Amino acid sequence: MRPSIRGALPSLIAVVALFAIWEGACRGFGIRPFILPMPSLIAAETWGAWPVVLNHTLATFGTVMWGFAASVLISLPLAMLIASSPAISAAIYPLLVITQSIPKVALAPILIVALGANELPRIIVTFLVAFFPLVVGTVAGLLATPPELIELGRACRAGKLQELLRIRLPFAVPFVFGGLKVAAALAVVGAVVAEFVGADAGLGYLIQTSMAFFRTPLAFGAVVLLAAMGIVLFQAVSIAERVLFPWSSGADRPVA
Amino acid sequence: MIRLDRVSKSFGSVEALQDVSLTVAAGEFVAIVGASGCGKSTLLRLVAGLVPTTAGRVVLGGTAVTEPRADTAMVFQAATLLPWADVLRNVTFPLRLMRKAKGKMLGDTEARARALLATAGLAGFEHRLPRELSGGMQQRVAICRALLQDPRVLLMDEPFGALDALTREEMSLELLRIWQGREMAVVFVTHSIPEAVLLADRVVVMSPRPGRIAEIIEVGLPRPRSFEQEGSPAFQRAAQRIRALIYGGRVAHAA
Repeated sequence: MRPSIRGALPSLIAVVALFAIWEGACRGFGIRPFILPMPSLIAAETWGAWPVVLNHTLATFGTVMWGFAASVLISLPLAMLIASSPAISAAIYPLLVITQSIPKVALAPILIVALGANELPRIIVTFLVAFFPLVVGTVAGLLATPPELIELGRACRAGKLQELLRIRLPFAVPFVFGGLKVAAALAVVGAVVAEFVGADAGLGYLIQTSMAFFRTPLAFGAVVLLAAMGIVLFQAVSIAERVLFPWSSGADRPVA
Repeated sequence: MIRLDRVSKSFGSVEALQDVSLTVAAGEFVAIVGASGCGKSTLLRLVAGLVPTTAGRVVLGGTAVTEPRADTAMVFQAATLLPWADVLRNVTFPLRLMRKAKGKMLGDTEARARALLATAGLAGFEHRLPRELSGGMQQRVAICRALLQDPRVLLMDEPFGALDALTREEMSLELLRIWQGREMAVVFVTHSIPEAVLLADRVVVMSPRPGRIAEIIEVGLPRPRSFEQEGSPAFQRAAQRIRALIYGGRVAHAA
């Protein structure tokens, strides 16, 4: 058995056991499917409606990716700005915290009225849910650069920009990826929140319409797909980190 | 080569250095010892141009030091390597940062870096990451990085302070060997009295709060130095004198 498979074995067993207990409980206690459907029924119903479900999945995936991309494009420069001076940090941080304390569900209908019933408000809500940990992580990384490293840069006559690009930013990479992983998972949450409020497609929309007709198994299927999407995105970020910045992700090469 | 002219340095209301005057000749090896908080590191950073003086001035090769210069290099207590860059890229980092190594010159710089790493016993480690090296090896990389700049002044802030005793002794002799082949002044801050005496032509003893020069000791041991000299009367005399200055005679009578 390959070590990577052996490493994944305990979690695989746990997941399979969970579904088995679930299935057994539903059958054994005779729980009605619209209250708690059993896994086999969820799979069958989801598979039965597959082309439709796939379209909803792709719609959500599009919103997630746009929101995630917006988070990256806005968070990184914003973090550099915040890390560059205590004054800017003091000015911007409270605003960011305010955006985080507003419930995004409350914001979504307002945005839809303002921006129209299209993709844009959903992307904005996704962005608002996802971007904060990325900013916080990146700022932490930029400021965590050891002072000796900064001093080395200064001793080598590096300017502020060089210091940022050649020392602080590379040093922040593990922190940035920490933020990216959280943001990837949160982007899925953000997209569904937005779809709950106003959408004509997407897994969030599918959950709402399914539940309106007590098609609980289909709603559960959508939930499973959302979880899978979150896991895939998280893993994609992890793999990107390992491939692009091998030094960032722990000791993967043995010490000679 | 280096001249400190009645230099004082305060951080806020704390006076780190008071009225320090010191001259270091080209190619001279000067050690600075003193208790914690006597401004040793501050003195080094003044010469490096990392911090400005409050009063007095630092002159290096005839011009006043107002900012970091290309002909001074610094070695810190921590190896301070870039965790994402391999050994070779760490060593060439300052020159790449100062844009002295690019295009055709980069190959040349890398060849010099490889040769330097080989003399430091790091041949074959060029493409390892810092975290794959031991503490001693990391510090050797840091010293190679400083030497690659071909500095006329090498400033070392307790460079062996984080190493174990054996590695420390080995590195001291290695440093002397490298220094002897070059026209390079070294200012070496240390907590270790034997280390200071073994390495330096002169030992500057500093007293704390505010940091001042208590006395400058001429070591006068012949070169090349070795650990056998530690038993010699001249070595013992110098070490005793430094100890007396630092502890004010307390330790001499403690036993």
